[in-house]
Amino acid sequence: MGDRVNYDMVAVAAVEPDAELMLRVKEGDAASFALLLERHRAPVIHFLYRMVQNQAIAEELGQEVFLRVYRARATYEPTAKFTTWLFRIAMHLALNCLRDGRSERGQESLDEEAPASSSRQISDRRPTVEQDLVYEVRLVEIRRAIHSLPAKQRAAVLMHKYHEMEYSQIARVLNCSESAVKSLLFRAYETLRDRLAHMA
Amino acid sequence: MTQCPIQARENAELLLAYCARKLDPQTAAVLEQHMENCPDCRAFGETQKQVWAALDAWEARPVSPGFDRRLYRTIEAEEHGSWRQRFLQPLMPLRLRPAFPLAAASVLAAAVLLLRAPEAVEFPEPAQAEMVDVERLEKTLEDLEMLRQLNLMARAEPAPSPSM
Repeated sequence: MGDRVNYDMVAVAAVEPDAELMLRVKEGDAASFALLLERHRAPVIHFLYRMVQNQAIAEELGQEVFLRVYRARATYEPTAKFTTWLFRIAMHLALNCLRDGRSERGQESLDEEAPASSSRQISDRRPTVEQDLVYEVRLVEIRRAIHSLPAKQRAAVLMHKYHEMEYSQIARVLNCSESAVKSLLFRAYETLRDRLAHMA
Repeated sequence: MTQCPIQARENAELLLAYCARKLDPQTAAVLEQHMENCPDCRAFGETQKQVWAALDAWEARPVSPGFDRRLYRTIEAEEHGSWRQRFLQPLMPLRLRPAFPLAAASVLAAAVLLLRAPEAVEFPEPAQAEMVDVERLEKTLEDLEMLRQLNLMARAEPAPSPSM
């Protein structure tokens, strides 16, 4: 059993550059931590943002995620994919936040103007007011539809859609079976089809 | 209202993967052929593609530029600020940790009392000085008394006669 674990650890570290970097962090290499942060900062915060739908809280939780990674460096063993571990921490913090109702209290208005519209203005040059309005309405509807999903379904959809994770990895993050993930996704997409299919 | 077995929950991953463009070309071709003859699967696929396209429109916001700086500041504060904690943590069983602040306060109070005690022991010194002063006072009083008696004796003695 112990040999199997050691073999797994060696195998993961051998194939996964992130695990290798984390092992260097364990040895005290600060530059490797900076590299991991650079690589995973945006995906983690984007996931948290879509989970709690509040940028300030998402960044606050993101700080906690990387702080926990840093704190755990001494005991880190590459038994799983680094991103699985990272998203598991992120998901755990997001679920706690949703359970506490912290994100509800700090909920950004779903009707607020999304900052993405400013980048659209630059790229589209001259979007009409009507186009902008349609875009805003679509965004609000999407955010509401995602927000209406139960937390675990929401996490599964976000990891599947935006982070292109395999069922097996989502299962490890959510600590459930692959068939449970398929079931979660089936139900989540069913809800989303009901709410969003008319938009395209 | 699932008519086609492909839409059953256990098989839906095929359709979901197809809509996410994750299906290998051979399987995708077979499924497309099936969808041509199956209106339910066709409708499922179309609506799922629409959902996929709608979700694509939701871009996440950029991370604020001060994120890394804030993180490194917190790490630095932890590294420098908690050497005592890191030293003591492995020594304490988990269940005793909540009692640590109380115990620390008691130890601190005891230490303060012990450190302050030697100052109290030094009090006799000024008392000794006071005793010295009393002795001096007594001696002075004795001296004064002696002088007074000498004066009295001197007054009592008759003055010698000039005829002698």
